[in-house]
Amino acid sequence: MAKPGKSPTTYQFARSRVVQTVERIITEGREEGMIWHNSKDSFGRFLEKDGKTLLNFASCSYLSLHLHDDLKAGAISAIERFGTQFSISRMYYQCQLYTDLELGLGRMTGGHVLVTPSTSLAHQAALPVLVGDDDLAIIDQFAHASLHVATKLLASTPVIRLRHSSMEQLESYLIEHGSKYLKIWYICDGLYSMRGDFAPFAHLARLQAMYPQLHLYVDDAHAVGWHGCNGRGAALEHLPQSDRTVVALSLNKSFSAAGGALVFSRQELKDRVHMCGGPLIFSGPVQPPMLGAAVAAAHLHLSPELARMQAELMHRILYARDLADRMGVRFVSQDATPIFFLPHDSPQWARAAARAFWSEGIYVCPVNFPAVPVNMPGIRFSITLHNDFSDIDRFMEIALRLQPG
Amino acid sequence: MKSTWLPILAAANLLQPLEKRDTGQANAVMSKELNGVLGKLYQVISFPEGGCPDWEGMAKLFLDCARITRITPEARDEFDVDGFQAMLSELLESGVYTSFFECEVGRRTETFGSMAHVLSAYETKRDAAATARLGAGVNSIQLVREQGTWRILSLLWDEGDSHLAFSPEQFQNMEIHYGQTR
Repeated sequence: MAKPGKSPTTYQFARSRVVQTVERIITEGREEGMIWHNSKDSFGRFLEKDGKTLLNFASCSYLSLHLHDDLKAGAISAIERFGTQFSISRMYYQCQLYTDLELGLGRMTGGHVLVTPSTSLAHQAALPVLVGDDDLAIIDQFAHASLHVATKLLASTPVIRLRHSSMEQLESYLIEHGSKYLKIWYICDGLYSMRGDFAPFAHLARLQAMYPQLHLYVDDAHAVGWHGCNGRGAALEHLPQSDRTVVALSLNKSFSAAGGALVFSRQELKDRVHMCGGPLIFSGPVQPPMLGAAVAAAHLHLSPELARMQAELMHRILYARDLADRMGVRFVSQDATPIFFLPHDSPQWARAAARAFWSEGIYVCPVNFPAVPVNMPGIRFSITLHNDFSDIDRFMEIALRLQPG
Repeated sequence: MKSTWLPILAAANLLQPLEKRDTGQANAVMSKELNGVLGKLYQVISFPEGGCPDWEGMAKLFLDCARITRITPEARDEFDVDGFQAMLSELLESGVYTSFFECEVGRRTETFGSMAHVLSAYETKRDAAATARLGAGVNSIQLVREQGTWRILSLLWDEGDSHLAFSPEQFQNMEIHYGQTR
């Protein structure tokens, strides 16, 4: 309980209080059947829910590579070569597939790549090593939860939260704090997983050119693969190459394997994080089957096939955006990404809309606090190569009917 | 005693809004003053996307010794005005809220001399244009009139399960003034 009369200048909710609140909200969602579903079948164009087949508008496998023959063959071949796991600390030995994968990702991104067990663990490994005691960290309020968790490890380094993508506020902090700190890190997502908007890359590039102290750490998990040359993602595509930028990638989602990766401009930085990043010393490795799939995915990303798949996905994205515009279906972001967010006025409406979508044969994700702000409940859906154009037509018809106002 | 008589008065339809009853000019002035404070309260706490509450305006509405109390399913939170601002700032910075709109939809007021107790039914929305509400409830507000100005001594509301069953449309407006204002 907060005590009166203290007049604090900052306020922090007790950890147990936050857990209780989240538990209450998640329990509500679970009891209403909104979350924790199981599927008995593969996860492509369709999803099975309560014995009913629904069109799948919820996958983050944007290029649908998880069912690609090359990736399946890569995983099988790795199992045959190394078995199901390579159980020794990576500090002593690593499976050769790690080296193959880092080389492939290096060619994809043009940087020095360190593969990590997950993107979340990449943040936990990199940020405490990269961000120094004399630095300041500024994090976008909507940055992925794993980034917020990782900034808790920065102990003595002050962390400021920024209003979502407010470059005006970022610049004011750069001016205000420039003389007090050695480096100022801005930590953000490349593509925000709920709203479906890109980071303001052009503005960030301008600020980075103006302020030599500004360093960027970008979690580009949702933009890898489907976006950019060789699928290097949005940050590496749209930000100029710089010693002051570090990008974290996901090898899940569009890449359709497992694990994460960090892209550095210099080998020394990579080595430093590799040597000193806690989870890289103490956590288990990505296991051979998924390393095999990841190596195959990297090969695919370096092949001409990728550009064709990216173009096919972009065709669907633009088709959906254009159709929505013409029909008057309004999304939170207009960026050409495969993530769409339909805002609703209340959590109850969002849940009712999700049920209506499901009953009409389309699976979408109802989204509520804490995944989004309290005042921004809604429906999140995504488009992948598995969705055909008639699926999108059907989706928009229903979305228009269920749209508030 | 009040609890005994109020239902009877209500049944006899005697508890109508003040303006329908001949209660004198002083009470009409008091009603206008309270209207101003309550209107301002909802104005200062509401803000659009990218904005924040009107902290200065809020401070002017509350007495220095004011208490702000929020009941949630998890706990009861008590703040002074600065503490409340710190808590709201934390919610804003962490992105729990990015905008806030709350408006009054009904009011019951009882006054005696320089003190007033207001039950103010409210609804919250995503923004002013939203067709459905995010939530609804009742603010319990105690005010004190000093040097010709009403200021808030206590603001209390319940965010618990009760709001789920609450319909502000059923909230009956009422105004009763006991005694005379100074």
